[in-house]
Order: sequence, then C-alpha cells, then structure tokens
Amino acid sequence: MITGEFAVIRTAEPQDAETFHSLQDPECPRSAFLDRRREPVLAARDEVREMLTQKEVARGLFYALEDTTGSMRGFCALRELNPEVGYAEVVMMFCQDDDFQSPLADEAFGFLARQAFQRMRLNKVTARCMAHESAFRAFLMRNGFQSDGVQRDVLFAIGKWHNQETLSLFRSDTHFARAEDGAPDKGRCVAE
Amino acid sequence: MAVKSKTFIRRAEREDLDAVVTWMEDPDFQLFLYGDPARSPKQIREQIVSMLGRTPENALPRGIYLIIDSAEHGPIGLISLQNVSWRNRACSVDVYIGKKHLRNRTLAGIAFFRAMAYCFDELNLHRVTAYIYAFNAPSWRLIEKAGAVRELTLRDHVVRDGTRYDLYCYGLLRADFNAFREKHRGSAGALMTSMVEEQRHTAGRPANDRPEAGERAG
Repeated sequence: MITGEFAVIRTAEPQDAETFHSLQDPECPRSAFLDRRREPVLAARDEVREMLTQKEVARGLFYALEDTTGSMRGFCALRELNPEVGYAEVVMMFCQDDDFQSPLADEAFGFLARQAFQRMRLNKVTARCMAHESAFRAFLMRNGFQSDGVQRDVLFAIGKWHNQETLSLFRSDTHFARAEDGAPDKGRCVAE
Repeated sequence: MAVKSKTFIRRAEREDLDAVVTWMEDPDFQLFLYGDPARSPKQIREQIVSMLGRTPENALPRGIYLIIDSAEHGPIGLISLQNVSWRNRACSVDVYIGKKHLRNRTLAGIAFFRAMAYCFDELNLHRVTAYIYAFNAPSWRLIEKAGAVRELTLRDHVVRDGTRYDLYCYGLLRADFNAFREKHRGSAGALMTSMVEEQRHTAGRPANDRPEAGERAG
C-alpha cells in the first residue's frame, strides 16, 4: 500500500468487485473495458471477483485508488505489457469523472509512471480513450501524452459507431529520462 | 487498364499445410508479420492446423484464414483475418505473399482487393484494420491506394533485429472501399467480376473435370 498526500494506492482485491462492476456502463462504454476486438467486457460480479485474483492483479499491476478517508475512488493499471519493445497501456478509471482533475489522479498517474519508467524501464506508455471520454483525454494531455491518431468506427454501441483515440507518452519526454541525464528531478513524487 | 489474372482466394485444404509451414518458417514472414524464430517446424505445423481447422458449430470463428491461389502458380500466399468482431463488424487483416518472385504490385494488389471484397461483400463487415510496419512501404502504399486511411502512427512500437520501428495502423471502412471501387469501375471491377465468375464456374464442375494448373478455364 502506498499512501500519498491525496491518494492511497493498493493492489486491487476481490472485495473491490462491487465498485469495479459499477464502473461498467453499457450506455457509456469505456476504453478500459474493451477487449482486443473492441468488444465491451461486461462481467458479472462473480467474474469480476475472479478476475481480480488473476493476471495483472497477481503480478501487482492492477491497483485500487482510495482517498485518504478510505473511500474507493477508482482504479488504475498497466496492461498489455510488452517487455520486448518496452511499452504498456495505462488504464485509469474513476467513479466520478471530476476526479481526473484532482490531485488524487495526478498522484495515481505519478505512481504508474514510476512503475513503468523507473521500475520496468519501459520506453513508452500508451493510453486509449473513446471520443466521449473527454475528462480522461484532458488528463492525459495535461500529463504530457501526445495523440497518435484516431481510429474510426471501432465500436458499435447504443446504436452508433464510436471512434477511439490512442495517445503515447515516451520516457524520454518525462523527468525520469532527465533525471538519468543528471538534470534535477522536478517531477511530482509520491511518498513510498 | 485491365490486367488478366487467375488469382482467387479460397478456404485452406489439408494439402496446403506444407506450403503454409514453409511460408511461416521463412524469416520474411517473421520480419513482416510475426512469429518466434525459436519455434520448431512441428510447433509451427500444430499452430497452422489449429488455425486452418474448422470452428465448432456452436461457436463463431474469431479468425479466418484463406489461401491466395492461382491457376497458374498454385497456392501463393495467405490471408489472415483476425480479431473478428461480429458485433462491431470489424476485423484486422494480414496478407502474406509466400512466393517471393510473385511479390509484384499487381498480384499483391489483386490478392488484397479480393480479400477486401470478401470482407465487405461476403462477411458484411463495416471496417477492416491493418497493422503495417513502417519499413514495409510496398504494403502500406498498396493499402493506401485501396482507400485506407492511416489512422495511427505508433512510434517505436515494434522491434526487429534489435531496432525499434514505427507501426502504422490503417482503417478501411466499407464506404472507403466502395469509393475506391466506384472510382475504378470499368477496370478493377470488371477484372474482379471476371475472376469471381471464373472461380464460380470452376467450383460448380466435378473435381475430375476441373482444369489443371496452368490450363485456361472457360
């Protein structure tokens, strides 16, 4: 468990299934819930509980986000890790989109960035967002991501086609690279 | 301009196995597409058997693998439709010309066109995605000419021989492909129609009455 100034970050556990399940919204599909074929994965609560004991969770790559009062606020993860090429996908979800503008989100992303760029020495991280995930996109842009482009009509849901954007952040564009070059580390830091 | 060709696509047969194994063992296949050079021929063969086998009746196929065949040259390549989403009416496509001396633009273009026509006209798909490495310029130039749009440029996204390369993601929608066909109506369309008619004519005849390779049909 990592306790920061605004966020408590811990490995997601089966008892988080209820909150995770509540984030699934067929009316507003999130990129985080799309599989490789861009089909929404709408899991039942039991399936979510089982998922939270496996894969990225078991390897410590799927995290629950709480505020300092202990209330569940969302989840974040690194998935589709490709060690050979050196990239992974960043996933962040909040129960309230407003949380993307909060320092809690910044701390959570700072944690993921350290995991990716410092611990795993990845070259880049990517993120995907649907056209309607404007809060998540604004958060990514604010944290240095750049757009790689938009794929058209990748998902059919609620009676229409949806586009999906892919964004990337390279390690060379972060303070992690500058710190290795000897430059002062001016980035945000979460106490561990 | 109409270019006569005897190229068509079909389901893979058991006798195609040796050819497909040879293609997938080629370093070019691993360079341009995927594969583990450490795999044994037995492992590759087992993978191909599972790829080309039939899907259980109660399941929808997630991948479709087709052979690019030629009355003149025999099996010349492979088309792989993967990540098929029947909900989104979409898939991703890989086209591989196994016979290197046939990797000219005309044949590759015809094979790709036939694959796209199959996706949109037979599978009723809405979107086809193609992931092409930046160093594979002949492929991405070809798909651009068919109307596909380069939607993503994923920098440093693939490693080959220790070097990182960019990956281009192309999207071809039904409307894009129809616009391409309309634009070339009278040339490519007539060519493809003639190919389809010849193949249907051939398929309807008894096996011992079909033309041998190299013999003109009809």
